[in-house]
Amino acid sequence: MTYLEERASRPAILAMKYHPFYKGKIQTALKCPVSSYDDFAIWYTPGVAEPCKAIQKNVDLVFEYTNRANTVAIVTDGTRILGLGDIGPEAGLPVMEGKALLFKYLGGVDAFPIALATKDAEKIIEVVKALEPSFGGINLEDIEKPKCFYILERLRQEMRIPVWHDDQQGTATVTVAAFINAVKYVGKRFNDVIVTLIGAGAANIAIARLLIAYGVPPGNLRLVDSKGVLHAERDDIDKLQFQDKWKYEMALKTNKDRIVGGIPEALKGADVCIAMSKPGPGVIKKEWITAMADNSIVFACANPIPEIWPWEAKEAGAKIVATGRSDFPNQVNNSLGFPGIFRGALDVRAYTITDEMCLAAAVELARVAEEKGLSEEYILPTMEDWEVYPREATVVAMKAIDQGVARIKKSRNEVYEEAYKKIKAARDQTKLLMEKGFIPPPPE
Amino acid sequence: MGSAQDIEIRDAKPEDINSIVELVIRLKRLNEEFDPLFKTRDDIAIHTKKYIESALGSEESVIIVAERKGKVVGVVKADIVDRIFYEPRIEGRIKELYVLPEFRRKELGKRLVNAVIDKLKNRVDIITAEFPTLNEIAVRFYNTLGFRCIMSNYAIEARE
Repeated sequence: MTYLEERASRPAILAMKYHPFYKGKIQTALKCPVSSYDDFAIWYTPGVAEPCKAIQKNVDLVFEYTNRANTVAIVTDGTRILGLGDIGPEAGLPVMEGKALLFKYLGGVDAFPIALATKDAEKIIEVVKALEPSFGGINLEDIEKPKCFYILERLRQEMRIPVWHDDQQGTATVTVAAFINAVKYVGKRFNDVIVTLIGAGAANIAIARLLIAYGVPPGNLRLVDSKGVLHAERDDIDKLQFQDKWKYEMALKTNKDRIVGGIPEALKGADVCIAMSKPGPGVIKKEWITAMADNSIVFACANPIPEIWPWEAKEAGAKIVATGRSDFPNQVNNSLGFPGIFRGALDVRAYTITDEMCLAAAVELARVAEEKGLSEEYILPTMEDWEVYPREATVVAMKAIDQGVARIKKSRNEVYEEAYKKIKAARDQTKLLMEKGFIPPPPE
Repeated sequence: MGSAQDIEIRDAKPEDINSIVELVIRLKRLNEEFDPLFKTRDDIAIHTKKYIESALGSEESVIIVAERKGKVVGVVKADIVDRIFYEPRIEGRIKELYVLPEFRRKELGKRLVNAVIDKLKNRVDIITAEFPTLNEIAVRFYNTLGFRCIMSNYAIEARE
């Protein structure tokens, strides 16, 4: 085995050692003092009846008297776990716990894995709606498309807490942040670049929507799916209206130049390529990158192997390259988004997370990197720049208040302080548990 | 894209035939989506052309198109039918209605249907429309225009 191969296979080996050792990655912990058994009369019966009665009179008090405002349900049906496909709800649970770990450590949010034994969209909707009283937000995870669009749309309409699908809004937020900085770095204007999106799945449809919300003219986008470039007169467009109305919407308003063909035709002359398609290498060829406009930007985000290797894209003329991988520069990493966004949404008890809130987070994410100094290899903050999370939380919360989707109002400073404190507490608590041996060191 | 204002609704002319045929074929191909019994035949083009030609030359049919800058972007065809058992007796039956995807959401469908109603108002007593049951977009469209469902069409394959 080469060094690189060995390094690449290491996480898999350690994961199989550590998972049975720790038997899970999250647990519940107390938030209030217990000095003696007498305290139980306060925290439980009979004392607890008083907050119950108060909430009965004013249901929003549940957010003040319980932990609800700090909780998110991570819901999956196990149908699209990572790149593994439909492996079942139990097999998806380690991923959901991992997500809960990120929620807590990066955002201070208490997230609960909920893996469902049904794949039926209507049943999932029914179950998730019934969970509403217990949670401050819902994170839909690894649900296959196009079901995921439908479920997200229905739940966003029918629930009074934020419902989020990270593969859509999360990926879109972080990608748009990378787009903002990359375009700025190469000295182009976001409203006249041509953007080719390869793959028309959950992520790219959401990215297209957010780019349009940011101000990229819809006609400047070119979406490519397995049948080629989308345009309003493609033969299958009428069918799409019934099969995937989200893709249909995009077909109607994108590709003003009426480009016909496949990936090479769509990339020709384009300024930006955002690939969220299938693992490479070789999905995108070097000569196609060469045919893009000067100072081109290439995001090749398929995992585990990008559509084109970053060095190949560079050799072919790309100025900035980003991937989904942590071992290359410019990782388009969802973990830069959802922890801070949910932190902000929860802290103002938001009813929903709007596209404008996502956009505010994207702009702030871009700004954090810009303040540190953009370079070809630094267009996004990394998870180590952890002030990004309270800052995202702040802009998201302020936008929620602006848009009238927050239950409570706070000042910018209050939101920032609170978010900072909660996120820092989560990190410090983990450190403390490790120091005290409650989280033991990993086995040799 | 263009705005709705620069789209003219007018009677079809013989020289529109190829554009109309293309739109009608698109409509029929869409119907394949709803049931295997709507699978289009390989030589659909020839037959569609004959069908439109004969309608253009008939007193019992009307074809109206939406035109933008010389290009036909939408079409409606209706036939006049005598409902011999019922009153009201004379029916204008919309058999084809199609608007190119990029010209949708400009109320062209509504303008086309209204043009049919307007054109036939002195000749027919009711207007009906025919489309596959599962075309929910058509269901919503006609409901919005005030139509209601009065007839169902069921099918079974006669041979194994």
